[in-house]
Amino acid sequence: MRRFFSQNSLSLAFGAIFLATLVAQALSGVADFNHQRVADGLQQVSLLRYVTSATFGVDVMENWQSEYLQFFLYIFGTVYLIQLGSTESKKPGETGTETDEEQKVGKYALKDSPAWVHAGGWRTSLYSRSLGLLMGALFLLTWAASSVSGWAAFNTDQLMSHEDPTTWLGYLGQGDFWSRTFQNWQSEMLAVGSMAIFSVYLRQRGSPESKPVGAPHAATGQSG
Amino acid sequence: MRQVRAIYVVYLVVILAGIIYCTALGLMGR
Repeated sequence: MRRFFSQNSLSLAFGAIFLATLVAQALSGVADFNHQRVADGLQQVSLLRYVTSATFGVDVMENWQSEYLQFFLYIFGTVYLIQLGSTESKKPGETGTETDEEQKVGKYALKDSPAWVHAGGWRTSLYSRSLGLLMGALFLLTWAASSVSGWAAFNTDQLMSHEDPTTWLGYLGQGDFWSRTFQNWQSEMLAVGSMAIFSVYLRQRGSPESKPVGAPHAATGQSG
Repeated sequence: MRQVRAIYVVYLVVILAGIIYCTALGLMGR
């Protein structure tokens, strides 16, 4: 059991922090929601009613979609884009999908390479892009989910202020949808750009996200 | 690696469940 935790502490710790912060979001979200309801002269809602509302749903999904967009763009972008001196980048001149030998596919596959690497054809081709494709698919699904829950939450607000509800397509043309979308996208793009450029000059001893402390600034794609 | 795979599956299930749940909340118009 102890070995299980020590060998998987990264995914387990972040999974636990995710659950704790999701609960914290629900608790602070219902407090804020009820604060607004009181100001509007409406009855307060229970925590259960809040976490089963589209308002809570869209607040969760609008953040998820931007995270998966970030990873999708980062994974595919770093195949072709370079940042000299960054741990997050390949070296200049190494852009592209690289040779079969470098990627250990085709006749260069190892004995213990994943089964779809040995399979060849479309399965190897699909498996070669599976990480980016999953992130892209999760982005599209979470973005769609945020649009559907955002639409219901928007219509609830419309009805409360005695305005007409809109269709889902109509909601996609609303400022509410795009404001929620872009406010999350901009922060993700800034975070990715910051990480790419800050890792050139700054270090975190022991982190694989950083170069070794003594590595020169010009060293690209090293992790320590 | 079996335990690692279990965590991988749990992550996928939680993410997909979250997507389905939040979509359902929207479709039910809650």
